Amino acid sequence: MKKFKIIIVENDEDEQLFMKEGFDAVGLFDIVAQLKNGDELLEWLEGNKSPLPDVILSDLNMPGRNGYDVIEDIKGNPNYAHIPVIITSTSSTKSTIDKCLALGASDYIVKPDTFVVYEPFVKKLYEVIEKKDLTNAKDFSVATAKKSR
Amino acid sequence: MLTNLQALLQELSEAVFMLDKDGYIKYSNLAAARLTGYSNRELMNQPIHLLYNDDHSSNSIKLEYELSVALKKGEYVSEGWKRRKNKTFFWTEMKLAPLYEGQNSLIGYSLILRDITEKKKFELELLENEERYRLMVEGVKEYAIFFLNTEGYIVSWNEGAKRIKGYSTNEIIGKHFSIFYTAEDIQSKKPERALRTAIETGKYEEEGWRVRKNGSLFWVSVVITALYNELNKLIGFSKVTRDLSERKEAEEALRQSEERYRLLVEQVIDYGIFMLDEKGRIVSWNEGAKRIKGYTASEIIGKYFSIFYPEEDIISGKPANELKIARETGKYEEEGWRLKKDGSRFWANIVITAVYNNDGILIGYSKVTKDLTERKETERALRESYEKYRLLSDELKLKNVQLSSTNNELEQFTSIVSHDLQEPIRTIKSFLQLIEMKLSNGQYEDLSIFITKSINAATRMRELIQNLLQYSQLNKIEPLKEIINVKELVNDALQNIKASVEASKTQITVESEVETIKGDRVQLVQLVQNLLSNAMKFTEAENPQIRIKCSKENGHVKFAVSDNGIGIAEADLKKVFEIFRRLNTKKDYPGTGIGLAICKKVVDRHHGRIWPESKLGQGTTFYFTLNEETQETLPYNEKV
Repeated sequence: MKKFKIIIVENDEDEQLFMKEGFDAVGLFDIVAQLKNGDELLEWLEGNKSPLPDVILSDLNMPGRNGYDVIEDIKGNPNYAHIPVIITSTSSTKSTIDKCLALGASDYIVKPDTFVVYEPFVKKLYEVIEKKDLTNAKDFSVATAKKSR
Repeated sequence: MLTNLQALLQELSEAVFMLDKDGYIKYSNLAAARLTGYSNRELMNQPIHLLYNDDHSSNSIKLEYELSVALKKGEYVSEGWKRRKNKTFFWTEMKLAPLYEGQNSLIGYSLILRDITEKKKFELELLENEERYRLMVEGVKEYAIFFLNTEGYIVSWNEGAKRIKGYSTNEIIGKHFSIFYTAEDIQSKKPERALRTAIETGKYEEEGWRVRKNGSLFWVSVVITALYNELNKLIGFSKVTRDLSERKEAEEALRQSEERYRLLVEQVIDYGIFMLDEKGRIVSWNEGAKRIKGYTASEIIGKYFSIFYPEEDIISGKPANELKIARETGKYEEEGWRLKKDGSRFWANIVITAVYNNDGILIGYSKVTKDLTERKETERALRESYEKYRLLSDELKLKNVQLSSTNNELEQFTSIVSHDLQEPIRTIKSFLQLIEMKLSNGQYEDLSIFITKSINAATRMRELIQNLLQYSQLNKIEPLKEIINVKELVNDALQNIKASVEASKTQITVESEVETIKGDRVQLVQLVQNLLSNAMKFTEAENPQIRIKCSKENGHVKFAVSDNGIGIAEADLKKVFEIFRRLNTKKDYPGTGIGLAICKKVVDRHHGRIWPESKLGQGTTFYFTLNEETQETLPYNEKV
């Protein structure tokens, strides 16, 4: 099975810790970086031109540049627009989900009930990426991103 | 530069108004408020005819006419009464001119008002004396009263003289008075003797035969009085003649001719058609005139036609001027206010035409009057309904804005409940689950950390709920309008955060030019307190300093809370008031992100504005204003 390079953006340190455990246990992802908000993400991308991640997983509510900002930053930059951004958050409100998708998020996955057990979440994330063929959509993703903006 | 111009306009000693296309005041300067007695706020959005000299509902018709003339001719200047707020009047010169933006796009009108009451008073007194005298002499019908110069040549002529002797003014002025004497009397030099007697004894009196223009004789009583000036020099004679003979025949002839004329004109009822003599006195009257103006013929004949004019037109000499124009150009035409017998006004279209006899001598004027009020009323009703819909649509727009802002807030609230409040619960549950797992495995080492973290999350949860309640509470209650002492306000706020001020060793200075403000004490204390807390929180300075300044600006109170803290990035300036928004900082600062949202809400509820000015690393100043009179910007003064 193909392994995806992923960046996780999440401000809560405990959450980050358990996320990493979950991702490591499932073994389908390489965590390229764990960052605490959109500002750090931009900084990281600037400093690490290659290899870029296959996918970015971002929390929504963070001090500084939040999840909405992350979507806009990535989709608004031609160099990064092809990278799928998947938002994750405690909220399952439809208007929040719709807003993320409208801004250009590839998907929205509600966080697990507690952060203690992350494996099912990670498996679901992998399925979503596979099913939507998000990482292979590279060739035309720039065009789609433009269209969706 | 714009603000300078604005200030110049504002301080100009002339009263300046700016009107929109429909004549509604969109701006007025300080002199305008002084002159009219209204505040600038009261004047705002009022039609300018608010200042017109009565409450007549059709003032808008006059205004509409004036605007249209200004538009056509580029300027409209008029003199007239205007009314202050306290119902007193002042005499003004009004200049109205259209304002264009770019080439052809009319955006409204400028209007300048000058109070010339004093100047007018002086003119009026003079005019009144003269007018009274003239009316007295000229109005007399039973006597021919006229003046001769020292040689006996006629220099003035009145109504009575015209009636008795048959000459019109134009015919007789400059002729020698001996023209009225019989051939025998002239032969015997009776006219010369009469003047000599008058000079010697002051007065000459007699009864005798005189000759009319048509050659007929009539029996008169005559008094000639010598007139002297203050240097006792003879300047002429007054001659008073009374017709004592029977004149029924002449009257009959006159009546017959009038009858024919009247029959013709009387058919017309839509138009007031009547004749004026060359002085402007009414000599005929038709049915239309009676219908429009309300006078019967017997009431009005012999009166000056100025009776139909509003007082201010009479004072400014308008009736006489209209006759002058008719005399010079043949015709005078206009639209304007006229008075009915009952004193009410109507909007009239009038045409005055000079009328000449066969010899080319001016014998008077015809005047045709049409009442346009009905037509104008319809137009006005249309305009009013348009106005009403405009107001309604404005109101709807406002309601729409309010609704969508309420909607936004509701949406925010949902997202807050679903997200921000769920987060700490999830954290607590996570740690409790961990604790459970550890316990069931007999592991006890990390438990106290997990418990501490759970407690922290619970504390944060409580803080969020409290803040959220406080925030939503602001929406519910209409803020009070108490008079609050500014010093007390700041002191109350400082008292509430005393502990953290002392702990952070922050130096706080307060300057205020303002003694008291109006508002809700509890909310305003919260506002100041939140700004101070915010300023103290976001600092890395060795000696944190906060300066609170309160000043008066453009008639409202403006606060400034300045710090020497870390500042705000330009891109973030707009986001600071979003609820639960915590902006990026290098260090992690505590807080729920609701403090400034509360500040914004309090200021909104007090009809003010709040905004930060800041440079990263160089401190921040939060400004806020309270009770701003109007949110609208003045024309030509885009907010920077």
